[in-house]
Amino acid sequence: MAQPAGLLYSKEHEWVKLDGDVATVGITDYAQAALGDIVYVELPRVGATLEQFGGIGVVESVKAVSDIFTPVGGEVTAVNDAIEADPALVNRDPFGGGWLFKVQLADVSQTDALMSPEAYDQLVSQA
Amino acid sequence: MTTEIGGTLRRTALYDAHRALGARIVPFGGFEMPVQYTSILAEHEAVRKRAGLFDLSHMAQFALRGAGVGAWAETLTVNNVENMKGGQARYNIFTNERGGAHDDVIFYRLGDERWLLVVNAGNADKMWAHVSAERAGDVELENLHGERALVAIQGPRAVEWLQPYVEAELAAMKYYSCAETRVKGTRAPILIARTGYTGEDGFELFLPSDEATGVWDLLLAENRERGLAPCGLGARDVLRLEAGMPLYGHEMTEEITPLQAGLAWAIKFDKPAFCGKEALLAQRDAGDYARIVGLTMEGRVPARAGYPVFAGATQAGEVRSGSFGPAVGKNIATALVEPLAAPDGTALEVEVRGVRHAAVVTPLPFYRRPKAS
Repeated sequence: MAQPAGLLYSKEHEWVKLDGDVATVGITDYAQAALGDIVYVELPRVGATLEQFGGIGVVESVKAVSDIFTPVGGEVTAVNDAIEADPALVNRDPFGGGWLFKVQLADVSQTDALMSPEAYDQLVSQA
Repeated sequence: MTTEIGGTLRRTALYDAHRALGARIVPFGGFEMPVQYTSILAEHEAVRKRAGLFDLSHMAQFALRGAGVGAWAETLTVNNVENMKGGQARYNIFTNERGGAHDDVIFYRLGDERWLLVVNAGNADKMWAHVSAERAGDVELENLHGERALVAIQGPRAVEWLQPYVEAELAAMKYYSCAETRVKGTRAPILIARTGYTGEDGFELFLPSDEATGVWDLLLAENRERGLAPCGLGARDVLRLEAGMPLYGHEMTEEITPLQAGLAWAIKFDKPAFCGKEALLAQRDAGDYARIVGLTMEGRVPARAGYPVFAGATQAGEVRSGSFGPAVGKNIATALVEPLAAPDGTALEVEVRGVRHAAVVTPLPFYRRPKAS
């Protein structure tokens, strides 16, 4: 299964889309499929400062709670309000309408620690 | 991922069938079991609206034989056993001296001296040790765990979709009755019971393991396109929670008694003696015991097992099971709470990751199936 190009990936199954020094973050299709039907997502607040790879929220499926680890650090500039009312949007469109939050990066070089689509694809095809 | 510390996982006779259907497999009760095939919500909906097919072969089946089985089992359990008639199934609980539960089980009486006892997979070894240690007089025990399969078809269409393959007239079978009958694809008659753990009408089929795949495939062959869905243990847990049915280890344990679990109807205090009777009587008469209640969460945050429950500033108990309840459209839970926090309609709070969220005590079950027309 090919991973969308132009994104960076973490081993915790989040994706990052960079636009200058603002990163949009979501979970991958592999992650949403592994979680199953998502019924609740708890996100950081706008204005919160996140540390790269820190636990910053949870995603809950019908039966289980899983932590969200942010792939990038910085200040939260937006969260996706649409998934509060419709958490299953993360299942239906994980790389698009199901994005989670946006971060103003403290330091763009931190993305060096993330994976290319090819490297992430290799990770999930071994799982 | 499918390794378990201290033991080897077993597979049911249907393991390959689950893999072929694309199931996600998880360790459960010592077996590699399907937790879901498509999605828990889709499988839940299939059972509530049409029917679902479950592999429950991980549950342990013990054959009990002898004229003394009824009288013997009376002394170890809270419900009546001896007065069961052939062709009857009955829910029961094996208790310890403190009134706590070793396991909740179903007895099936096949004939005067032939019984089947079905116990939870996670309690299989403990229960086998218990009944073996307590065996007395004219009682023969045989452990069929892993040698027999159990397939359930559950949902409003169960009668219609199962009947073509079964000799017995299913519609005439009462809830909690059982019959040995011919089933297409089996060498000898098998036991079928109108029992289940979903809150829907349905049947459970007790099969020799080597005949399980044949019957499973037969039931899916014609019925799958009509909407019969293979269902995993994930959907099963949500279905039973909505239906207010206890799950051992959650609503009932060696410490949480059947009285606390709301199962007073199953406790026959007029029996002369049974293990734990004095403790249960004392608990009943004192009346001040923590008890299992239903909770409905008011917001979107699910409650999960282990979360603390508050009545005002005071901790009043803890969540024992929690899930989104699709048939209710809300997050539902059971909690073990102090009596003051237990009346229906009581406003409580569940602490989720350090934040308290409103919940209201709700009568069980959360879901009751529509009456058949």
